[in-house]
Amino acid sequence: MAEDLVLDTAIRDWVLIPLSVVMVLIGILRHFVSKLMRSSQVPDAKIIKEGQLIVRARNLRSGANFIPPRSFRARRFYFSNEENGLLHVPKGQAPNPQAQMFSDPNMAMDMMKKNLSMIIPQTLTFAWVNFFFSGFVAAKIPFPLTQRFRSMLQNGIDLSTVDVSYVSSRSWYFLNLFGLRGLFSLILGEDNATDDTQRMMQMSGFGFDPTKSLGAEKDSLDIVQHDWALPKFEQRAEAVLRKVLS
Amino acid sequence: MVSKTEETQLSNLETQVDNGGGGAWEYLSLVRKLKVRRSDRVLKHGLSILNDPKKRSSLGPDEWTLYEQVAVAAMDCQSLDVAKDCIKVLQKKFPESKRVGRLEGMLLEAKGAWAEAEKAYSSLLEDNPLDQVIHKRRVAMAKAQGNVSVAIEWLNKYLEIFMADHDAWRELAEIYVSLQMYKQAAFCYEELILSQSMVPLFHLAYADVLYTLGGLENLQNAKKYYASTIDLTGGKNTRALFGICLCSSAIGQIAKGRNKDDKESPELQSLAATALEREYKHKASDKLSLLTAALKGLKVPS
Repeated sequence: MAEDLVLDTAIRDWVLIPLSVVMVLIGILRHFVSKLMRSSQVPDAKIIKEGQLIVRARNLRSGANFIPPRSFRARRFYFSNEENGLLHVPKGQAPNPQAQMFSDPNMAMDMMKKNLSMIIPQTLTFAWVNFFFSGFVAAKIPFPLTQRFRSMLQNGIDLSTVDVSYVSSRSWYFLNLFGLRGLFSLILGEDNATDDTQRMMQMSGFGFDPTKSLGAEKDSLDIVQHDWALPKFEQRAEAVLRKVLS
Repeated sequence: MVSKTEETQLSNLETQVDNGGGGAWEYLSLVRKLKVRRSDRVLKHGLSILNDPKKRSSLGPDEWTLYEQVAVAAMDCQSLDVAKDCIKVLQKKFPESKRVGRLEGMLLEAKGAWAEAEKAYSSLLEDNPLDQVIHKRRVAMAKAQGNVSVAIEWLNKYLEIFMADHDAWRELAEIYVSLQMYKQAAFCYEELILSQSMVPLFHLAYADVLYTLGGLENLQNAKKYYASTIDLTGGKNTRALFGICLCSSAIGQIAKGRNKDDKESPELQSLAATALEREYKHKASDKLSLLTAALKGLKVPS
């Protein structure tokens, strides 16, 4: 039943390639526009301090075995002390993130700008694709698919007998959307504004990092067992010297 | 810390540029990236690029970075006129810029006008209270004026906020050692060891401080850290070898009579002594007799 449909090469010339080119150009445009629109962020003292604190606590954890036990315990106490330890976040302050997000106008504006610059081009391009490039088979996917994908991939095609591997141009649009990320990182260098998928993941989990990670650091610091590595070093030094002298 | 490959690359470029080959721009970019201090060469080669209008225009937007780099190098070499010219050019291009303001403050500092530089830095800090470089320049100024206690105070305040800055910890440790505040210096070196545990330099410095503090426990710890330095440097560090010998003899003197557990590393001292003798034979054979005499005086009284 699945005969091979022969697709006109004109489809390739006038649909697939222009669509990819347009998406690349729009991506580049978005990148530069977002660069222009990005307001300079005033670093907040508290955030910087907390970031540095986390780095220091992490260093303490990783290097714990290199300093004498007493120093390690003193530092751990300094960090996780109940009253005024640096990592200890009093319960009242914890539910801060949401309120802070909306009360800080700058940050809200930033987020909105980022979202807009992502959503609008996507929506426009999608509408354009639907309007111009619907109603025909655009490409054939090289592997067989089940019938469930029919509604997703063959949206404009109203024939139910066509093999599911033959898809409409909408699916080519989605393929490009996710696939061009690699191309953009080549052209525009890392950290470009077109990294939508990353931003989408970030949008869902926008907890304010510091307070949560402080608690996490404190917990991991409490777990650490101090196993002083230095005594072993004496024997290792002996071995090294013996090797050098032999 | 500059890695070995980068160091060789830097010295290769240096010789190439000094002998008239091309590659001045790569050399300057590498110096900038590695943050090493080669001010005389930077000044010479940077000026040769900047004074040649063709080479200057071929740099494009990097031209201004080069101006900044040459200005700082000029201040380091006390060619204040060169520095002033560079800063003037930058000022014309970027009025109201924080980076240029910082360079102006540095120029005042280089001229020795401490009060005005202080004022400039404070005003810059008001607009931008989290600029690390300006904080550090203030500390450096206090230290240059000889006002070490003020330097310590500021450095401590800086470290309260930016506690992951290991260069600052190192500077603080050295200041404390210069003031003989060894306990505090030990704390700073511990911070450094925590953040960079595989750098033998910090183990060695920490061991030195512990040895200077004295007391049985500190001496034993010092011995352990000298051992770790030996381990990390493959036995090539002469100071660590000496440290082991001195520590062992000092421990032996204090723990005379008590049979302290020397089972951990009974042979370490003799091995270290032998290694020292071999090194002296290689490198300074005329001083070998001095060494043997000194080592004999250190022998642990059993």
